[in-house]
Amino acid sequence: MGGYGDIQLLRDDGLRLDGRKVDEMREVEIEAGILPAADGSAWVKHGLNIAVCAVYGPMEAHPRKIQRQDRAVIDVRYNMAPFSTSDRIRPGFNRRSREISKVTAEALESVVLVERYPRSKIRVEIEILAAEAGTRCVGLTAAAVALADAGIPMRDMIVGVAAGKIEGTVVLDLDKAEDNYGQADLPMGILPTTGEIAFLQMDGDLSVEEFNTCLEYNMKAAKEIHAIQIDALKRRYEQKMGGGV
Amino acid sequence: MVALVPSLLRQELANLAEQDQRIDGRGQFESRQITLETNCLYNAEGSAKVTWGDTIIYAGVKFEMRTPWPDRPAEGSLMCSAELRPIAGRKYEPGPPSPESIELSRVVDRGIRESNCIDMSKLCIIPGEKVLGVMIDIHVLSDCGNIFDACALAAIAALRTAMIPAERFDIGEDYPLPISMTPTMSSFTRVGGRYVLDANEEEELGGDERVHITLGDEGHLHSLQKGLRGTLTPAEFAEILEVAQSRCAELAELVNSKEA
Repeated sequence: MGGYGDIQLLRDDGLRLDGRKVDEMREVEIEAGILPAADGSAWVKHGLNIAVCAVYGPMEAHPRKIQRQDRAVIDVRYNMAPFSTSDRIRPGFNRRSREISKVTAEALESVVLVERYPRSKIRVEIEILAAEAGTRCVGLTAAAVALADAGIPMRDMIVGVAAGKIEGTVVLDLDKAEDNYGQADLPMGILPTTGEIAFLQMDGDLSVEEFNTCLEYNMKAAKEIHAIQIDALKRRYEQKMGGGV
Repeated sequence: MVALVPSLLRQELANLAEQDQRIDGRGQFESRQITLETNCLYNAEGSAKVTWGDTIIYAGVKFEMRTPWPDRPAEGSLMCSAELRPIAGRKYEPGPPSPESIELSRVVDRGIRESNCIDMSKLCIIPGEKVLGVMIDIHVLSDCGNIFDACALAAIAALRTAMIPAERFDIGEDYPLPISMTPTMSSFTRVGGRYVLDANEEEELGGDERVHITLGDEGHLHSLQKGLRGTLTPAEFAEILEVAQSRCAELAELVNSKEA
């Protein structure tokens, strides 16, 4: 984490700079099935973040050495568009996006019923079009909706959420300033029905009590985002029925 | 899927062309529906989203402070890059930029650069030392045919709404990018033996060569490109150029209607 409280992030009235309460998340909007070329897709706006995800497959896994005899492999690419941040990002994979892609794939492999598709591959393409802290979580939320839209069986949805600490106070869903100048960040991928954790990272400094509060906030937010995911899929399904696709 | 039987598809397209029909019911020089949104991306200094039939493209503009090219010490620079990332379709693979994506970037780049729509001398901050570089990045999210025209439209629309973040570079107040023209592209693909405007995915799959025409404000030509295997006659070119004249004017009007 960046600084150590040299910038005031909590107002005197106890609210955050953007007026949110400590356990309040940014606004989330989700649309399913927005990319006609893909087998499944989703668009997620979370605060000022925008993530788009496309799913292709299940398809033949090649090269052959990546095939698994008993299950499908999930091939995730998390990528930030060059214009998604205030300084342009050079196109191409970097160490950060590779790591995020890897742990995101592993999180998705724990919810998708991969054993139904031996020797095949499911491609999950996550593109971050606008970034304002928490993009890996937004990408995960989008991936779950895109997989469901593609009709790929899962044992639960998965929701990406983060809590953290600013000025010694635990808060839900850090924005950019809070991420830059805060003291801890705990992004998680949560299975909203069972409460299991499929994605877990953290950096900064948290006491056990603070961690538990973060966990409680994340679980609460996961339920809220899950409802928005389901609503998006329902609207997509109604559209499909009505549109006769 | 038709992709598995391109020869059957070619036959079908040829039969349709003979009856002056297209596979999706359009006329020979009729475009699909286009919607254009501008300023739709937080963090980009100018941005546009183009939905062209089922093809979806985003373009974002960023600026950077850089040292000028030695042969043009008092001019800013332009860089246009189109990424065909694997999100765009089933046929796209991860890896370094493919020849197709490099061609796409360069054809779009030429149309904008050669029209001189951006006054590069106004992007000079200190001659020989500091100039502004304009970077347009185009992201293809869904390729359902004719990404060239859609990319060119997204790029010029994003540029026309771009604000130079002068405050961030400590050179005064933010101001709009000085841009004076609206070059747009019209592409034609030979399908079933004749040229059609705005080929869709199936027509590209079962078609032959394509011709990309970028025209500026006065209908002047700024960039041409012939791609893929095949030849065309001067008479055929004259016919599609005439179509491009009216089509490009319509597209420019669409872009100009979005300006603030």
